[in-house]
Amino acid sequence: MTLTSLAVGNLMRNKFRTGMTVAAVAVAITAFVLLRTVISAWNVGVEFAARDRIGTRHRVSFVMQLPRRYVDTVRQTRGVRAATWANWFGGKDPRDPSNFFASMAVDPESFLDVYDEISVPADVRARWQADRRGVLIGDVLARRLHARVGDRVTLQGTIYPGDWQFNIVGIYTATRRSMDRSQFLFHWNYLNESLPPTRRDTVGWIVSRIDDPSRSGSIAHEIDRAFEQQDVQTLSMSERAMNASFMGMFAAVLKAINAISLIVLLILLMVIGNTVSMGVRERTNEYGVLRALGFLPRHLVMFILVEAIALGALSGLVGLAVAFPFVQLVVGRALEENMGAWFPYFRIDKPTIVAAFVASVLLGIVAAAVPAFRAARLTVTDALRRLD
Amino acid sequence: MMEAAEPTPAQTTPYREPVASIVKLDGVVKTFHRGSEAIHVLNGLNFEVAEGAFEALMGPSGSGKSTLLNLIAGLDKCTGGTVRVADSNLGSLSDGALAAFRSRTIGFIFQSYNLLPVLTAAENVELPLLLTKLPGAERRKRARTALRVVGLEDRVNHYPRQLSGGQEQRVAIARAIVNDPKIIVADEPTGDLDRKSADDILALLVKLNTEFKKTIVMVTHDPAAAERATKIRRLDKGQLQ
Amino acid sequence: MIPLSYSLRSLMVRKATTAATAFGIALVVFVFATALMLVEGISRTLGSAGDPSIAIVLRQGSDAELASSIENAHVGVVLASRDVARRANGDPDGAAEVMGVIALDKIGDAGISNVAVRGVTEDSFAFRPNVHVVAGRRPNLGTDECMIGAAIRGRFAGMDLGQSFEIRHGRRVRVVGVFADRGSSYESEAWVGVDSVRTAFGREGLVSVIRVRLRDPSAYASFERSVEQNRQLGLDVQRETTYLANQSEESSKVLNGIGIAVAFFFSIAAMIGAMITMYASVARRGREIGTLRALGFKRSNVLLAFLIESFALGLLGGAVGAAASTAMGLVRFSIINMGNWSELVFRFTPTPVILAKAMVFAAIMGLLGGFFPALRAARLSVLEALRA
Repeated sequence: MTLTSLAVGNLMRNKFRTGMTVAAVAVAITAFVLLRTVISAWNVGVEFAARDRIGTRHRVSFVMQLPRRYVDTVRQTRGVRAATWANWFGGKDPRDPSNFFASMAVDPESFLDVYDEISVPADVRARWQADRRGVLIGDVLARRLHARVGDRVTLQGTIYPGDWQFNIVGIYTATRRSMDRSQFLFHWNYLNESLPPTRRDTVGWIVSRIDDPSRSGSIAHEIDRAFEQQDVQTLSMSERAMNASFMGMFAAVLKAINAISLIVLLILLMVIGNTVSMGVRERTNEYGVLRALGFLPRHLVMFILVEAIALGALSGLVGLAVAFPFVQLVVGRALEENMGAWFPYFRIDKPTIVAAFVASVLLGIVAAAVPAFRAARLTVTDALRRLD
Repeated sequence: MMEAAEPTPAQTTPYREPVASIVKLDGVVKTFHRGSEAIHVLNGLNFEVAEGAFEALMGPSGSGKSTLLNLIAGLDKCTGGTVRVADSNLGSLSDGALAAFRSRTIGFIFQSYNLLPVLTAAENVELPLLLTKLPGAERRKRARTALRVVGLEDRVNHYPRQLSGGQEQRVAIARAIVNDPKIIVADEPTGDLDRKSADDILALLVKLNTEFKKTIVMVTHDPAAAERATKIRRLDKGQLQ
Repeated sequence: MIPLSYSLRSLMVRKATTAATAFGIALVVFVFATALMLVEGISRTLGSAGDPSIAIVLRQGSDAELASSIENAHVGVVLASRDVARRANGDPDGAAEVMGVIALDKIGDAGISNVAVRGVTEDSFAFRPNVHVVAGRRPNLGTDECMIGAAIRGRFAGMDLGQSFEIRHGRRVRVVGVFADRGSSYESEAWVGVDSVRTAFGREGLVSVIRVRLRDPSAYASFERSVEQNRQLGLDVQRETTYLANQSEESSKVLNGIGIAVAFFFSIAAMIGAMITMYASVARRGREIGTLRALGFKRSNVLLAFLIESFALGLLGGAVGAAASTAMGLVRFSIINMGNWSELVFRFTPTPVILAKAMVFAAIMGLLGGFFPALRAARLSVLEALRA
């Protein structure tokens, strides 16, 4: 028997209360882990962005188009190895209009060179390039649409109205976790030729592969300088910066999620603090006996702190044990399948796990502070007199 | 202690009508189970209390005196035999009916007073009246009257923590009589009190018995308390001595 | 019945514990009420601002103003319909406008965001009688003057009286007025004369949207028929209420869902906290319970007394949380309008209904948390309780 084991053993004296505290903390930690993972998963696009890619879009807004000829200029910029382009199509599956996925008109010749994390066998690639109505879809999307190679698919255009027919030529997988596996990629020519002359030959954005990632800033500048004097100006930045600025549009939501995760911690503090102070109050008499036997106030403080830390650590561990399967397996799978465009990779990251555990332990310490301080200041006789 | 007086020609004991028993226990058995062991605290006890009596029950611990008190008060049910109190057969009453019986018939005085700390003296005394259909004004009036009987009308709005032990017990006594019960049941009423306060309480109990004609059954260790009663009974191992 | 004062005063015996538990409940109520207030704010700005007698005409297949373009010549045809109401001077009550979007630096947050720019005419003002100037004056439409909505005032660089911003490279507009419109989405826009917007965004000869006021809401069906059946026009008609509801639907649903899910999670932790507190309370008051039972109070009386106590605890937390949430009414929150990818600014809107819902939620938390402890109190046997 040591002083520490005594302190920890105190937790078992009221198993029911300890159990309920752990349960409450487990729920709160699950909520905390879920919220923080939403933020970190959303940031996956930023974290794992390709270092050697630059995006170029209309300076004002990405909803506005660039002229097709801009691609040629970009290709000639020093440092650009390869460039491709894409138009956001915004199509809907008429059988399931609420199913959101990214549909884009791209250049089949160059797209897979720039986005080399999209993985298809060479023969599929060739078939895609040969079929004007051919489409490559991600494996997650294929599952959702119940689509197989060889199927005919119709999409309803929202930006480009009408019903559009496609043939599924291939299903791609991704070699990088940040790649959206729910994309629908078809020929830009197919879109362009179907448009009235006034709307032709425009692209949504241009993506370049550069030779030297350390020069991405200056190459981006070069590209923009080429269009400075023209009617339509561009804004180029690394893929990482581009994803970050997209996230920035949701700054308010992210701030709200952060605020809510702080509130969770406060709730945790209330629950742990309440339990710790109840235990201390009920044992005031015993602490008096310990003091009478010769223990010092600082021993009492240690007792209380150790018990609180043990409570925090235990609840934190149990909380994580519950949170892990729930967030990773249940929620994470559901989000990856159904909102793959927003959350291609929904996994709990290490910093979150560490933060959750550390928070529980720290909260235990904070919660114990006042009760420990008060217990230390009681005189022996007062403590012995308390029968509560 | 009373002894039967020898009648002398100059003095005859006055004729007393036989008084009805307000408490009648017949062949009462009470068994407790501790694990697989069965402990017979009371084993075929016969016990009677006359109306208007002030009886003290004494005996070593484990003798069953508290158990007997609990049975009379309707706090517990016997395992065998019958318990009749004030014309009610307690064994046949349901939980709810027992509660009603206690509220109508019994007044409680506990060793540790058992006042509700969050209520004032007046509110504590009023508590039993909430189980009746009396209107608020009437209840408060009766509570005040009861407090006057015990001599605490100047402390009506004090909380128990603001009262001394003796004063708390007097509030408890006021609570015990406010509903005009037939029997007052007291479990070591002076156990937690100093000599002076104990004497005050006992004087009060005697007053309740002689002036207000209340039947009192009191369990006590205190010989001075027992002396104030009109009859002392001793219990040992569940048997009356 | 056991007096109310017994239940309520018993809460005050352990002030710190009561405070901590109530505060935990307050935090949950705060999150819950705030989420409801945000949804209310969104629906006020987008949803209920819809007028059932207003119809919106867009190009066929477009689901947002920004993506739509309608030829000028067609405007007159639409406005000539018999179903369109007439103003006092005989003019049709409608407005045709051009929509654009610009990128501006945010103030307060780092980054750039998009602001919707509406090219307006005198008709626009006649059509919207609730639009009124709250600072400065109306702009002269043929010039480079503009007015901005109250919601975006001060949120972007150049967006305040006397300041200016660019709607196109080299084209500045000056802010001469700030307008309000009962908190509608127009308050997140900048209004400039239609000709300036046309040239700035290259929409010569076009408008983005036509709004008409029908002579009667029931005239909608016939109006829709007459416009959509005219194939030469190639236009789509919707009720403004439908249009706004669609715009906000996604965001509202998501935010509502997140808010409720989060509050539900938290409420479990708060309820467990209440349970811990009430169990301790019951344990501490064994003798009081026994006394009450001895005096003749029934088990049901005891159950009720403790339920009332935890109910009051819930209400206490609810009151604090609800009061704190009304402070959020001062906060502005922005989400991205998926129609034009520009900022839409909302207020958290407290209403009596929301506060009532928050209190009910709190009361339920108190009741559920206190239920099992109250049950335990009621099930104590009298003698056991007295011996406690």
